[in-house]
Amino acid sequence: MKVPLSWVREFVDVKASAEEIGTLMGVRGLPLEGLTAHGDDLVMDFEVHANRPDLLSMVGVAREIGCAYRLRFPPPKGGGYIPEGWNPDQAIPITIEEPELCGRYVGATADVTVGPSPQWMQDRLLACGIRPISNIVDITNYVMLELGQPMHAFDLDKMIDGKVIVRRAKRGETMTTLDGKKRTLTPDMLVIADARNAEDIGGVMGGASSEITAATKRVVFEAAYFAPSHIRQTSKALGLKTEASTRFERGMDRTAPPRAMMRALELLQRTGAGRPTGHITDVYPRPHQPKTVKLERARISGLLGMDVPDSEIDRVLASLGFATAPHEFATAPHKGVPYLEITPPPWRVDINRQVDVIEELGRHYGFEHLPTTFPGVEQAPPPSDPRIARDRKIRTALLAMGFSESITFAFIEHAAAEPFLAGQKPIAIANPLSEKFAVMRPSLLPGLIDAVSHNRRHGLAAVRLFEIGTRFSPSGESRAAGFAWTGLATPDHWGGARRAVDFADIKGVIEQICAMTLGTAKGVPCDFTEVETPYLVSGRAAMLRVKDRAIGVFGQLSPAIAEARELPADEVYVGEIDLDALTAASPVETLRTSPLPRYPSVVRDVSILVADTLSAATVRGTIRSAAPDTLLQVREFDRYQGKGVPDGNVSLSFRLTFQSPERTLTDEEVQAGMDAIIAALIREHQAVQR
Amino acid sequence: MGIDPSIGPDQARALFRTELAEVRDRAALQALRTRWIGRHNSWIAAFMDALKTATPEQKKALGKGANELKKEVEAALDEKSAQLAATRRPANAVDITLPGRVPQIGYRHPLSLVRDEVIEIFTRLGYQVLEGPELEDDYHNFEALNMPPDHPARDMQDTLYLESALTYSDRPLTLLRTHTSAMQIRHMEKNSPPVRLVAIGPVYRKDNLDLTHTPMFHQVEGLVVGRRITLADLKGTLSAMAAALFGSATIRFRPSFFPYTEPSAEVDIQCFKCKGAGCQLCKRSGWIEILGSGMVHPAVFEAVGYDAGEVTGFAFGMGVERVAQLKWGVGDIRLFYENDLRFLEQFGS
Repeated sequence: MKVPLSWVREFVDVKASAEEIGTLMGVRGLPLEGLTAHGDDLVMDFEVHANRPDLLSMVGVAREIGCAYRLRFPPPKGGGYIPEGWNPDQAIPITIEEPELCGRYVGATADVTVGPSPQWMQDRLLACGIRPISNIVDITNYVMLELGQPMHAFDLDKMIDGKVIVRRAKRGETMTTLDGKKRTLTPDMLVIADARNAEDIGGVMGGASSEITAATKRVVFEAAYFAPSHIRQTSKALGLKTEASTRFERGMDRTAPPRAMMRALELLQRTGAGRPTGHITDVYPRPHQPKTVKLERARISGLLGMDVPDSEIDRVLASLGFATAPHEFATAPHKGVPYLEITPPPWRVDINRQVDVIEELGRHYGFEHLPTTFPGVEQAPPPSDPRIARDRKIRTALLAMGFSESITFAFIEHAAAEPFLAGQKPIAIANPLSEKFAVMRPSLLPGLIDAVSHNRRHGLAAVRLFEIGTRFSPSGESRAAGFAWTGLATPDHWGGARRAVDFADIKGVIEQICAMTLGTAKGVPCDFTEVETPYLVSGRAAMLRVKDRAIGVFGQLSPAIAEARELPADEVYVGEIDLDALTAASPVETLRTSPLPRYPSVVRDVSILVADTLSAATVRGTIRSAAPDTLLQVREFDRYQGKGVPDGNVSLSFRLTFQSPERTLTDEEVQAGMDAIIAALIREHQAVQR
Repeated sequence: MGIDPSIGPDQARALFRTELAEVRDRAALQALRTRWIGRHNSWIAAFMDALKTATPEQKKALGKGANELKKEVEAALDEKSAQLAATRRPANAVDITLPGRVPQIGYRHPLSLVRDEVIEIFTRLGYQVLEGPELEDDYHNFEALNMPPDHPARDMQDTLYLESALTYSDRPLTLLRTHTSAMQIRHMEKNSPPVRLVAIGPVYRKDNLDLTHTPMFHQVEGLVVGRRITLADLKGTLSAMAAALFGSATIRFRPSFFPYTEPSAEVDIQCFKCKGAGCQLCKRSGWIEILGSGMVHPAVFEAVGYDAGEVTGFAFGMGVERVAQLKWGVGDIRLFYENDLRFLEQFGS
């Protein structure tokens, strides 16, 4: 709201500079957003909160400034006063068909000579960002800025039968508005019509056919009250926001139209633009109903945590136009307790409850008086969301494994989401900012892939990124950890060879997370199976299952996706773990420690040749089922194909650890175990021992 | 090879000094020692032999000179020996100036750092920390927060809507939550007072990407409800948070408007850079706006079935990105979502 300093000083004798006013009003709830010079005047641009339509006027702003500076604010009359000389003769034929939508309509006729308005008026309008149009239109805008009440003027000679009818638009009725656009109206909209046609979209914008022109001789001025929610709907439906609609949709003062009309007629005569005919009609089917709010003094400090002195309560409320009357509660439980009955002025549509009045007292007495205290603790705080601690643990592990933390947008391109949808419909956004943010991510990987691509394109050779975040599906939200790794696993170093990341690296990450969350060493089985999925290379894609629950998928990113996301040709490995599923699969019992082994372990290696189609897991299974109970661990430590190994075969080397909790194992025992294992390998897999 | 004893102690001294200066290692030092003061075939031995045939006067003069020289040589050799010991390197020595094999460790994301810091502060103050759903229904995001349909305040937060409602929740989910305040309602519906929580997570608004806006950003929401919770309690709590986050405990409340709080206040911290004197960071005002807050509106309590006559409460909401921008001087908010490792590495691990 642009407010020229000179204009506000017409109402309140504030000596402070515009900057000083801005600083003080900032802590009184009316922040100054900008200050510009306009000719000799300074224009203060205040940010008016959505609940204070009364501040969209010079008078409203002056009242706030007056209260803040403890100045007397004229007019001295109470809220909703009737202006001097108000004496409507009801001679103009005005009909309100929809009193719920238009609670008051004041019309006054005048004979006019249309021309430019005086320079001082034009200057003020321009300072407030409103283009001067003609003396008549300028008067309506001037009054709106000064008093807050939007006004309109019709060319009376263009109103058929001189009638003013406030009615709903007819189905399909059209009207050309003042901005030159032809608009099709609906019965949800209110119009001001003559005997035949809609001439104005009530409270929003006037019509072109009854517009004031140079030829206009007689006008009818309008000052009305329109229902806020109705104006809001109409304005939204038409996509048309005006100075008038902005005010009406937030709620105007029903008592203001007579004051606005008298002011308009006064300006008409003073500027020589015309002469009132004396005919005024005031149709007022839904009069202002004063609200009252009970204010208990104890509640003020109960809510604010500071006492507001009685003198300040009286000063602030009087200054803002609130009427107060002392009372006592007549009935239990508060019988005999004094309270103030507060009647807010009719322009204060925001005051409905006691707390609203307390806010007025707090802000005008000053929040700077607030002491610094702390809320008392009534009970031990309940535990936090367990996901927070879990996610922190996963985050710490991934950081330690060299992955950097990333955060990407939860909405992504439809095409990027497609390979991850697994046959489900994407969750699309109805009004996305752009196609890049069209659907909610079904996976964290598309965002991570783009982040990897960004880094690769900016010259980073080795990129390891992870994200812990929410995935969206038609059946619900789930928390996941995604990670992506490309480039070198071992960087260039003077002491050794570089190595590019491969499948075993990304699997190792998954294995580590499983070990630390599931305690796989304690026997929670992790099953890895090959999967086919559109975003991973076939034959280099695996799924992790724990207790038959799918926990994660990982492998080499499909080169087609890598290329589509502008990644260089290097292999990219990605993985994603469903953290909620991981939590569900995690053992619930608390940790119990085991005693350390008291007897030494025995380590034996065995190397065999088997068909290279045989999976390590199968061989490991054969070893385990043939082995005695004393076999503690089986670990592949070499896999070799090439010279000395027949085509179609592979040399596998296993390191077997035997141990008993009860005694030292003998060589014979261990050898017997090894013999049984080797026999089984020969029997089951035609293995040849090397 | 022997040294001619006839050169006498003075010339011998000069020769020794020259030879000593050329010694670079222990082997050469040992050779030098043998050559000059060894038991056999050394200069001193030869000189002593030569003295046997000299006159008593010559013996007295030269003998004294030879003994002095011997002592001097011994001292010089010991000193050199100590010098060599100090610079000696064993055969398996490494060049410790070569770079080490640095284990790879990931970098933290700044938003996650702020998040952890906030969680730490409020855990210390006895709050429970909660997270909530990111897709919401109209009731929890707006209506229960005193924003009925057609309420002008809905314009304050331009909402992103789903193309079709999701039905897995108790009410149809139609939008991306515009604030973490929706979490307040969900918590109060299920729990009776007192309440002392912070909710944290991503929120979404239809804001174009620019230096200070992204369509997704993160919010910290605080809510305390109890029998005697006041605006002054909010001030204390927020100044404790400001002190922990920015090292500036001086805050001020500016009256504002939010539909779900009354009174409402925007909160500024005194500029931590200029201590309120006015600088570029605080746009010469001495104050930096960091969050919105207020006393929970009675209509919100009514929506969740709390007795607004019995309890009061405060609430606040703060942008995590804004805190990170202020704290670390990040001019462009979009950097938080690019995940450029050159940016992330500046925050360490």
